[in-house]
Order: sequence, then C-alpha cells, then structure tokens
Amino acid sequence: MSQTVIEVSGLKKQYRSSVGRSKITALDGIDFAVREGELFGLLGPNGAGKTTAVKILLDLTRPTAGQARISGLPAGNPESRRRVGYLPEGHKIPGYLTARQALGIFGKMSGLDDATIKIRSLELLEKLRIAQWIDVRVKKYSKGMTQRLGLAIALLHSPHVLLLDEPTDGVDPVGRREIRDILRAEAAANGTAVLLNSHLLSEIELTCDHVAVLRSGKVAAAGSIEDLTRRAAKYKLVPTAPVDDALVASFRDTGAGVERVNGHLLMTVDDVTHLNALVDKLRAGGGMLAELSPVRSSLEDVFVDLVRAVDPGAQPTVEGAAL
Amino acid sequence: MKVLMANIEDVMREAAARWTLVAYFFLSTIFIIIFASAINLDIVDGALAGAKLFGKTVDVSGTMSIEKLVMGFESGFSGVLYVLCTFLAIFATAHLVPRMQEKGTIDLYLSRPVSRVKLILSRYVAGLILAGSNVLYLIGSIWLIVAWKTHVLHPRFFLAGGVILFLIATLLAFAFLIGVVTSSTAVSIMATYGVFFFGVMLAGHARIEAALSKEWQAMGIKFLYWVMPKTAELATAVVATVGGVHNEVFKITPAPFVSTAIFGLVCLVLASWLFQRKEF
Repeated sequence: MSQTVIEVSGLKKQYRSSVGRSKITALDGIDFAVREGELFGLLGPNGAGKTTAVKILLDLTRPTAGQARISGLPAGNPESRRRVGYLPEGHKIPGYLTARQALGIFGKMSGLDDATIKIRSLELLEKLRIAQWIDVRVKKYSKGMTQRLGLAIALLHSPHVLLLDEPTDGVDPVGRREIRDILRAEAAANGTAVLLNSHLLSEIELTCDHVAVLRSGKVAAAGSIEDLTRRAAKYKLVPTAPVDDALVASFRDTGAGVERVNGHLLMTVDDVTHLNALVDKLRAGGGMLAELSPVRSSLEDVFVDLVRAVDPGAQPTVEGAAL
Repeated sequence: MKVLMANIEDVMREAAARWTLVAYFFLSTIFIIIFASAINLDIVDGALAGAKLFGKTVDVSGTMSIEKLVMGFESGFSGVLYVLCTFLAIFATAHLVPRMQEKGTIDLYLSRPVSRVKLILSRYVAGLILAGSNVLYLIGSIWLIVAWKTHVLHPRFFLAGGVILFLIATLLAFAFLIGVVTSSTAVSIMATYGVFFFGVMLAGHARIEAALSKEWQAMGIKFLYWVMPKTAELATAVVATVGGVHNEVFKITPAPFVSTAIFGLVCLVLASWLFQRKEF
C-alpha cells in the first residue's frame, strides 16, 4: 500500500483586505491527499485557491486553520521540503545565471554535493533537450526553455514530492509530451508524488490519475478522472428501428434525460441499473438494440459544469465587506 | 555551510553580471590612482626632504619625520575611506533582499529545505563579504602605495578597515530590515544613507537639545542619539585609531561602538524575524 505523502486537512486561509477589516476567504476548509507515485491534478477557476494551497504546502504562506503535511512533517518545518521539488508559475530564475550556475546554486541550497549536481544537471538537461544551452545565461532563453530549466531545478535533488504550477506553460506540443513522459516516469520509477496545478485541463486529463476541483475555496469534486468523467456520462443507444415518442416519454418518466440525435438516443441515467431498466422497457416494447455505448464527458465538460453549477462568477468569497 | 556558499556564489555572480562589481571596484581604483598620483615625496638618504599633496607643498620642515607624515596621510585618508567605502558598500548590497523577494524568485529560494532565518543571514554574510573585499582592496592598495613611495610600513592603517566594516555591517543590517519591509532597493538605499547623515547630525545633540524649548523634545533628541548608530563618532575613532592620536576631537571610546553594535543587532534580528513571518 503506497504511503500518503501530501496531506491537507481542513485547510483554511483568509487574507486581510488592504482596506478596511474585510477578509477574503481563499481556502475554506479543503481536504485532499496525494499518495506516493500518484499524479494528482488541482483544478479550479482563477481565485479558487489552487496556488494558495500549494503556497501553504511550501510555507510561503500560513494557513488560518487546518493542517498541511508533507512526508508526515508539518509544512512549516523546513525539513519537509528536503525532498520537494517546486516549479512556480511565472518563476524568475535569475537571468544573470547560466543553467549550470542556477542548477549549482539551487542544488547546493537543497543540500547536494558538487559531484551529484554535475551528474544530475547534465542528465536532466539532456532529458529536457536544453543541454546545449547549459552555459548560456538564462536571460537569453525562450519561455519554453526557461520552463524546462525550472523543471530541471525542481527535479535536481530527486524529489519525493513534485509541486508544479502550470509546468507546460509556454512549452511546444512535443515538449509538453516530453514533460508528461518525464513526470510519469518519475512517478513510476521513483514513487514521486506529483501535484499538478494547471488550467490546461487536457494536460491534466492526459497526465493525472486523480484530481480535485476547487471552487470558491472549497473542494467541489474529487476522485479519479475516470470516476469524475463517468459521473456525468451519457449513453448512446442505437435501436434497430426508430423508437416511438410514447416509449421515449416512458423513459423520461423514470427520470432519465433523453435526446434524439441522428436516429439514435442520448440518454443520461442515474446508474447502470437505471440503464438496464430502460433497455428492458425497449425490449418489452418489441425494440432491439444495435449498439449501446457510454459517452464520456471530457474533464473540461465536468470542470465547466462544476464551476457553473453554483458559482457563475467563481470569485473568492468575501466576509465583512463587498469587494 | 552549503547554503552560505550558494548565497555567496549567487551574490558574487549577480554583482559581476550586473556590472555592480565592476563599477564598485572601478570607482575604488580611480580613487586609488588619484591618491597614488597626488602624493609626491622627495626622500633623500631615507629622510624626507619635501612633500607635495595634490600639487601643494606640504610643510615638512622642523621635526616632522617621514613616519609622522605617513601616519598623518593615512589617518586623513582613513576618514575619506570611511565615507567612500560605506556609501559604495550600501549602494552595491542594498538590493540583496528586495531582489530576492521579487515574485517568482522568492518561491525558488523558499522552496529549499532552508530556514528563512538561515537564508537571510547567509545573504547578509555574502553581502558583507562583497563589501569587505572592496574595503580590503581600497585599504590594501593605499597602504601598498604609501609603503612603496615612503618605505614606511604602518599596519595600524588596516585597523581603519575593521571600523569601516563594522559600520557597513550595522548599516547593511538596517538596509536589510528596510528591504524586508518595503521590498524596494531605492527605499533601502535612501533610508540607510538617511541614517548615516542623521547619525552625523545627532553628534551635535547637545547643541540641538540646548536650542529646544521643551524638555520632551530635548529628551527625544537624546533618546535618538543613543539609539541611532554613531556615524560621526566612529569616523573620529577611525582617524584616531590610524593616527594614534587621542584628544578632544579624535578619541576612541567604547560607547559609540557598543550602541552602534546594538542598533545593528536589533535591525538584523528584526529583519530576520519579519522575514520569517512574512507571507509571499
């Protein structure tokens, strides 16, 4: 059984407004856990609290209530970051450094010796296809190259936990696939737990095993991608002969959503039992099935539905005053 | 130790890449060259026959020995170096905290397994090493020029470096405090120069107090005098140390050193505490 390496429970964060006494709730008691070797996606609209959660895990900011632990240690303990790699969104690696120097400085700060830094630097830069730029100053790098270097810095000390904020931002499609492959390989080979924070839902869908969707500082949904996309799944039913309106109406009477699309039916049902009951009805009416297949929603569909469902504006909640 | 080494490397590389290091040492070199060309000594059979400083003839008649002249030169220049070194050092190091605190950069530093206090203190030491190397360069060069021109070795001149570095350490602690609070290099520099001049001004606190009509105002000035670094008193201490003089104007007393050290220590502790508590 793999161990839980990131634990967040009842995490709450309120920011004080710069004017007045009002408080802005960025996180309102969230819980999630990431196991070793797991690729976990944190999703949410702007202001949902994703970055705040990551910042609390790194002790960049402190929670108002609740707990955040990495490898069993409280996030406030510097030792909890011993095997954590972090790639912040919009990071600024000092432009006056070359890749070799940046890796050297941040490697030393992570407690690595010179020999390990040298070996790992070359290995990672080769893997990320920027090895030929090792002695060029970072200020000459393109956005995608800077992002690759940022990932190399995050991976340098072979972390057990990787916290990545928009890791493929500015990276070309081939590079994205390579980064995805690297993350999957790290998780599989070293048991690295990866917490991915991204707006690119297709990237999350392709990379992660589990996700949590944050909305207004709360976890709106969480689970495996398969579960989440199945929950809102529809079934495509292709009958051998057209289904009459009375039968469709009887389907609807059971609470199913039914749409006619190009001669077949798109049906939204509660569960498999419900689906089978509808199929029985069809057969009882003399109808026959030519095809029955699930129509999965994309993660984006689920995300948009969740975000629009309750909070159309998706703004952080405010106590005490209007924004 | 690795954290300290990483910070020293970072600070030095930044200083080199941003031309700070070049400008810092270039200005110092200009000063050294001017100094070297300004002194003209006429030494006959090991005795001083004549001397010119900036083209002006210095009276060396009577009992003035070459050793005494060297001591006079060096004690005078130590006062100039006191101001020059301090100003250059603050200009070259005040950015260390504000730049580190920039969004996107601070995350990279704080995500390491290093306590914030250790991080800021390492950066402080790195800044002091940068400033100290320049102080050593200036003092050492001038000492060598004087030794070369006069064949007089006067090691007390290096004591000036110690006092100068002491003041730089104090003011850098203050610059770090302002840097942590404001994240602004410009404000850090202005505030630190302000403290330097305010300290000079407060040296005349007795006269200011006498001129004030209300007792609480006089008490306030006295309080400020004891709280602020004693920049004027330290300057006279530098001259007195190098020149080996002790009179009403140039004297060495422990009080200015102690109160200045307390000021610096309080600033450094406050800067570390605020950096530790700060949310990014």
